[in-house]
Amino acid sequence: MRSSQLPLYLMVIPGVLLVLIFSYGPMLGIVIAFQNFIPAKGLLGDQEWIGLDNFLYVLELPNAFRVLWNTLYIAILKIIFGLIVPIAVAILINEVRVMSLKRTIQTTIYLPHFLSWVILGGILIDILSPSEGIVNMMLGWVGIEPIFFLGNNSWFPITLVGSDIWKEFGFGTIVYLAAITGINPELYEAARIDGANRWKQTLHITLPGMRMVIVLMAVLSLGNILNAGFEQVFNLYSPQVYESGDIIDTFVYRIGLMEAQYGVAAAVGLFKSVVSCILVSLAYYLAYRFADYRIF
Amino acid sequence: MTKLTKLFLILLFGCLFIVITACSNSDTTIDDNSSSEKDKEPFGKYDPAIDVSFVRSIDSTLDLALVDGETIEDNVWLDYYRDELGINVTYDWTASAGDQFDQKMNVSLASGDIPDFVSVNATQLNQLVKADMIMELTDLYEDYVAPFAKEVLESDGSGPFDAATIDGQLWGLPNMSSSIDGAEFVWVRTDWLEKLGLPEPKTMDDLLAISEAFTTQDPDGNGKDDTTGLAVTKDLWDGYAGLKGFFNGFHAYPNIWIKDASGEIVYGSIQPEVKEALQTLQDMFGSGQIDREFGVKPGDKVAEDPAAGRNGLHFGQQWTSLWPLQANRDNDPNAQWKAYPLVSVDDQPARPQITLGTTSWWVVRKDVEHEEAIVKMFNGFIEKNWGETAEFDKYYMPDGAEGTWKLSPPTPSPPNKNLDAFLAIREAVGNDTTDQLEGEAKVINGRVSAFEDGDDSLWGWERIYGPEEGVFGIMDEYVNQDLFMRDEFNGAPTPTMAEKNATLEQLQNEVFTKIILGDADIDEFDKFVEDWKSLGGEQITQEVNEWYQNVN
Repeated sequence: MRSSQLPLYLMVIPGVLLVLIFSYGPMLGIVIAFQNFIPAKGLLGDQEWIGLDNFLYVLELPNAFRVLWNTLYIAILKIIFGLIVPIAVAILINEVRVMSLKRTIQTTIYLPHFLSWVILGGILIDILSPSEGIVNMMLGWVGIEPIFFLGNNSWFPITLVGSDIWKEFGFGTIVYLAAITGINPELYEAARIDGANRWKQTLHITLPGMRMVIVLMAVLSLGNILNAGFEQVFNLYSPQVYESGDIIDTFVYRIGLMEAQYGVAAAVGLFKSVVSCILVSLAYYLAYRFADYRIF
Repeated sequence: MTKLTKLFLILLFGCLFIVITACSNSDTTIDDNSSSEKDKEPFGKYDPAIDVSFVRSIDSTLDLALVDGETIEDNVWLDYYRDELGINVTYDWTASAGDQFDQKMNVSLASGDIPDFVSVNATQLNQLVKADMIMELTDLYEDYVAPFAKEVLESDGSGPFDAATIDGQLWGLPNMSSSIDGAEFVWVRTDWLEKLGLPEPKTMDDLLAISEAFTTQDPDGNGKDDTTGLAVTKDLWDGYAGLKGFFNGFHAYPNIWIKDASGEIVYGSIQPEVKEALQTLQDMFGSGQIDREFGVKPGDKVAEDPAAGRNGLHFGQQWTSLWPLQANRDNDPNAQWKAYPLVSVDDQPARPQITLGTTSWWVVRKDVEHEEAIVKMFNGFIEKNWGETAEFDKYYMPDGAEGTWKLSPPTPSPPNKNLDAFLAIREAVGNDTTDQLEGEAKVINGRVSAFEDGDDSLWGWERIYGPEEGVFGIMDEYVNQDLFMRDEFNGAPTPTMAEKNATLEQLQNEVFTKIILGDADIDEFDKFVEDWKSLGGEQITQEVNEWYQNVN
């Protein structure tokens, strides 16, 4: 270690400490996934060790597979569209020539990101109502029968994905816009001289230029494969759409937290983390192998 | 952050906490022979004063309770406990009510670092007993409870004590709260009844006729088909626009444990009467009397309908005139609502189902030196609020303050106090002696009179406590005729219940909702009953019966 680097290492210490205390310390709690955990006895108390019983218990619940399927279905749709939509929008916004308009659009689409699902839940029930909601009114103008977005089991997952994308795509767009800004303008100039039109430029310069960021976002989002979005689903679902909308997190909330079965809740949490970890590692390896891309 | 990650953080934090405090937490064994020398006086004062520790939650309503520079640590109640009983109340910590308090409480429980006296729910109580952290209170209670406090604490049946009784021993003192206030009524918009020339609801048939007329005969007279018959929320069992009262009319008692003809305890939701009620609801939904979208609407959404004059009928508890009906009255001064007793499908009266109102119990940490102090505080709290020497204007609701009683750590209140206030008002109005009313009845009567003098913003109070048509007049009838159908099971969740209840409840609500919506045939109910039994219900029933044998 060169002495000139010493201050840098010192500066890293607070961050490392925070990670140790808040990310690694709590990992000790994983033990309760293997216990018949009684909170009053404490984490290091005399708990009963039950091996994998908590995991088996969840798998044997009647709805376990329905819930797993719903989670995967909703989460995968969210991952796919959560990538495509912001990229498309970022490219479109980049083509906007009027600076003030560009900024306005950027800010407007970013706004929903700051609203909580509790508030959006109430708003969505109103605007998606089949009888008086504005969305169905507009569908009515083009002759489409009203759709019960929040009450119909075929539509509910799509509604979840749609509203989630609507809320979050502004955020993703900013990331991709930043990537586009980083592309060397001389490349576009050269392309124009060679006779490339706008579409060809997008295809051969903008998209390849964004490749690294796209791969990075894709790898990171794979970690969410079992996160279908607790807050959103919890605020929008109802017994009517349990069939298509009940996900791992809401399921565990009901059986684990409402009934004080903390061991079960911890077991499912651990399961989700392990799956996410494996998928992220795999995606990272594939990205390295085939796209020659390293994040770290 | 999801609830799950939150939970992780809480528990894991608790873990760190233990690691840090482990060294100082050596096993303390206290000889408990000192109690033999104690006085056993319900109001005996400690001299010198003793220190006892509590924790407490704080919310914004406490600002209304604190007057003249009082604080949470220094106010009339803590003065009373110190000056009259020689008990210095100290708080180990305070936290905002809700998530924050619950999290700190969980950390406290997980680390074993609980205060001398702490209020917990039935599940926590059970865990504390298992962890051997709290003290058994059977004799302590009998030795120290004051006669009047005993009368109050035992006035809601044995339920409040059963829940805190394990193996025949008492482990917690019930922080009494009303059970009967959870009973339901039929709330009807009577100006619509008059307009359509309909009779008041006396039977289920009357009610169904009203529901249909409110849907089809344009009761608001705006020429649009925009009204619904019966208001229902997606959660099915809410205190406003729930369905318990409706089911009770069919002698069905969903979600509670009832005694069948043979004396066995059985689950109300799987009885054949439920099917009949569901069939009727399905028909009502089919003919458009229930909002097409009720299945996705929580209570506060459904509440917009009566407020906007689009609904005039629901089942609900005594308070629904304050919310949401007051909003209807505010928007439309001609709107009038009235509560009626539950209606029945046959000549047997409908019996409103109620569950135990008490949801928390005070427990005593094992090594506490003056464990009887909590009983004395119970005695003091009940005496100073409702006893012979009560000083209502000082301790319960002084001028300019509201909810001052909340400043005391334990707050057990007589389970029928709202009904008693109503009866006092009715009697006083009858005898023209309202100026002699005291305490809560006086305050409430002030609101009722203010409404009668033209303050329409207090209309909701008059609907509850008004001597003529107040809903508590019906509650009094419920009590006099002993109509209540009480939940027979009051214990902490049994082992199988803890494991399976969430699944069973989900199954039930899903099937019931689908049947009402017509998405499932009514015969799905029979399948539900079978599923319920095979998915753990049978075992739970057995455990509940064992529990019942144990406490009775």
